[in-house]
Amino acid sequence: MSEITQVIETGPFEEHPAHPGAGAYVIVAVALCILTALEVTVAYLPALRPVMIPVLIILAIAKFALIAMFFMHLHYDSRLLSTFFLGGLLAAFVLFIALLFLFVYLDRHRAIIM
Amino acid sequence: MAAQPKPLPLEPRNYLKGGGLIGWLTTVDHKRVAVLYGVTALFLLGIGGLEALVMRLQLWEPNNHLISAHFYNEMFTMHGTTMIFLVLMPLELGFFTNFVMPLQIGARDVAFPRLNALSFWIFLVGAVLMHLSWIWGGFPNRGWFGYANLTESYYSPGLNIDFWDISLLILGVSTLLTAINFFVTMVMMRAKGMSYMRMTLFCWAMLVTVILVLLAFPALTVGLLFLLLDRFFGTHFYIAAYGATPILWQHLFWLFGHPEVYILALPSFGIISEIVPVFSRKPLFGYPMMVYSIILIGFLSYGVWGHHMFATGMGPVADSAFAITSMLIAIPTGIKIFSWIATVWGGSLRMKTAFYFALAMIVEFTIGGLSGIMHASAPVDLQQTDSYFVVAHFHYVLFGGVMFALLGAIYYWWPKVTGKMLSEKLGKWQFWLTIIGFNGTFFPMHWLGTWGMPRRVYTYGAGLGWTGLNQFETVCAFILGFSFLLMYINLVLSTARGEDAPADPWDGRTLEWAVSSPPPEYNFANPVEVEGRDAYWLMKYGRGGAREAQMFAEGKIPPVPQNMQAPPEKPIHVPTPSIFPLLIAGCLFMVAIGLLIGWWRIMEIGGGTMFICIVGMCLEYPKWGEKSHNLDEEAPHSLGIDLRKAGLWTFLGSECVFFASLIATYVVYKSRNFGGPGASILEIPLTSGSTFALLMSSLMMVLALHSIEQGRVKWMRFWLVCTMALGCVFLGVEAFEFLGFFQKGLAMQTDLFGQCFYTLVGTHGVHVTIGVIWLGSILASSFRKNFGKSKALSVEMVGLYWHFVDIVWVVIFTLVYLMQQVKGA
Repeated sequence: MSEITQVIETGPFEEHPAHPGAGAYVIVAVALCILTALEVTVAYLPALRPVMIPVLIILAIAKFALIAMFFMHLHYDSRLLSTFFLGGLLAAFVLFIALLFLFVYLDRHRAIIM
Repeated sequence: MAAQPKPLPLEPRNYLKGGGLIGWLTTVDHKRVAVLYGVTALFLLGIGGLEALVMRLQLWEPNNHLISAHFYNEMFTMHGTTMIFLVLMPLELGFFTNFVMPLQIGARDVAFPRLNALSFWIFLVGAVLMHLSWIWGGFPNRGWFGYANLTESYYSPGLNIDFWDISLLILGVSTLLTAINFFVTMVMMRAKGMSYMRMTLFCWAMLVTVILVLLAFPALTVGLLFLLLDRFFGTHFYIAAYGATPILWQHLFWLFGHPEVYILALPSFGIISEIVPVFSRKPLFGYPMMVYSIILIGFLSYGVWGHHMFATGMGPVADSAFAITSMLIAIPTGIKIFSWIATVWGGSLRMKTAFYFALAMIVEFTIGGLSGIMHASAPVDLQQTDSYFVVAHFHYVLFGGVMFALLGAIYYWWPKVTGKMLSEKLGKWQFWLTIIGFNGTFFPMHWLGTWGMPRRVYTYGAGLGWTGLNQFETVCAFILGFSFLLMYINLVLSTARGEDAPADPWDGRTLEWAVSSPPPEYNFANPVEVEGRDAYWLMKYGRGGAREAQMFAEGKIPPVPQNMQAPPEKPIHVPTPSIFPLLIAGCLFMVAIGLLIGWWRIMEIGGGTMFICIVGMCLEYPKWGEKSHNLDEEAPHSLGIDLRKAGLWTFLGSECVFFASLIATYVVYKSRNFGGPGASILEIPLTSGSTFALLMSSLMMVLALHSIEQGRVKWMRFWLVCTMALGCVFLGVEAFEFLGFFQKGLAMQTDLFGQCFYTLVGTHGVHVTIGVIWLGSILASSFRKNFGKSKALSVEMVGLYWHFVDIVWVVIFTLVYLMQQVKGA
């Protein structure tokens, strides 16, 4: 009969699933800086006021996606991990929209009716 | 610090034996942790039951003053809080899921055994704190729902609500850790061959339940955090006089609270789906539909919270939306009821106590479900709100639906847990007394509610026509209490001198019956491979039914198959016991009690020691920070992903909901802010600089990971230092910004904007600080021997956390800072 031991054995390190090199990371960082600069510029340009909110949201989503996909490796790792994260993100988005709708939209709607 | 292998006796040893008191205090075995949960929750069940009996005595006659109104409020608050957070949830998740789920999926333990033990000890701290408030002036007394603004300092100046708030926060942490643990276990550690559609219904129910916990509890945490800030720091998150709204608490609470109903109900559905087929000797009818209906219930349960709030005047659009979703959820629930009935139909029924309770649950829960559909209709609900009709409804759901299932589960799985059979005679007595006591207590409440008796009422006037039914209910409540006394007697007597339980006393269908009762320490001697649904049934009888018919004709239960009794072929990895979970929980208790009673020295000592213990717990892992090489054996469905990494991603998914609740509150309250400096005080150029620093710190972080993956430890240290330095720059700018705002007159208490801004940005800052400390600990440990390429996982884990903090800031920077440039946004 084999011996029973109280230890979780671990062994040699397995190579990571093809993470990108340092060059790719630097390119992503440069892209993030450019997007941030664009955001700040957009926020200060009066001509863009009418479209400022959608443009800022798009730029923020782009930055969010770049960090999640490349720095957090969701683009390279198993889709299972993306599912874990995106599930939470989706629930967070639904909650955010629901609370906004219940308070902001309905408040205004009631104010109009009254 | 690294734990050395400790040879254990070669013969399989049942998990209950050995180790003495220290063994139990340091255990990380899922079965022992389950027993700790079970014993604690059963003790608290007795306390919760006594609280209910005190209430029933008070309602015995009109104008009764047996106890004070204040004490009555304490009783119904503690009864609700105890039963939901300290009895039902721990019995379902902590006791039964902890014990049964790893066995049912063919695993040797849960994914994170020490985290499991930590969850229990933290739960115990929460339970003790909740009751300790009595020493400092009284129990919490604002209901288990703690409606704002009754919980604010002005209306509740004592410490009792502080104890309630902090205890619930602590219990939330415990539940969240458990949910992450079980989620990763069920997704990744199922036995070979066990696809999702071969998993037991109980495990399916628990999988959806823990997902609900992960997505619903953060909303409660945020609600409790706001209450904490209101009470400790003078903010006004729920005070209408300052422009805020107490309705925010109701939304955050019920965003958690209604999924919570299914967090309690789904496990009971799973339990019934295990008991009914076994005692009907038939496979579960419509397994795929049962799975889909569980998923659908979980999905819909996240969108029905508003039906608790029809009376708050949300408006016709919101009322209609919540009414529709609340009615829709009856469809998958109905599927389950029909499926259980169809399973029983035509079966060879064995009328054991567990089956009695399962059948009773189907009936009682259906009654509760039918009155629940009434609440989905807003006009009907307005008549029933805050009446005893609601009390009747939720007791038919939570007692009839959940407690009956738990009682069935006790009779079903107790032989596996203790190795002793429970007395069927006492069990049947308990069953009939429970049926009489339960229906006698709660069914008349439907009438009382319809006649206008309000819930939570301390006493009532004579001549209202309520006396007779109240007295009948009180008598029945004592019958119900007596039935539970019989259960305790049965548990104690049978465990002490009951008949020994065989491995498979019920002719079970699932894997937990393939191991001895009680199970060996390591669960399964050899890795299990399953060939279909009802895995153990197939092992015993094979396919086709010929052997089944033969054994049934002979009235025999086949012995455990030889391959399940074979000795271990390879060394078995049993997690090392650890004292750290207990120590960390003890320190948490010191921090909490110090904070509550203003004993700062105790808080400081507790906090400091807790930090040391957390570091100790991380370093005690024998091959800390390395990837497990035997993942294929331990976690056949891991797809090569380390379990710790999967656990962290699960946590980050849950954190998204946490930050979404904070950000939504900021946006909502910003639009209501009047007076004060407001958002115009924000300085975009300064914050753009700190944003740049944080973004660059993410680059440094990922370069540190890249370096360690290449084996360059010195470069990794360099990049880690850079990451920490940029993190500190970010924190420094934030502190400078806060100081400037204080000087300009914007404090947390100034206005709605101030409290939301400091809370949101400050919470993010706390996350950055934790990240810097974590980075520092990795940097320090990199000077230990053998730190090299193999430790890349440690760096990757802290990196994931760091990047997450970064992307949260991307959202905050846009929403809070940049969008304030748009007037009215």
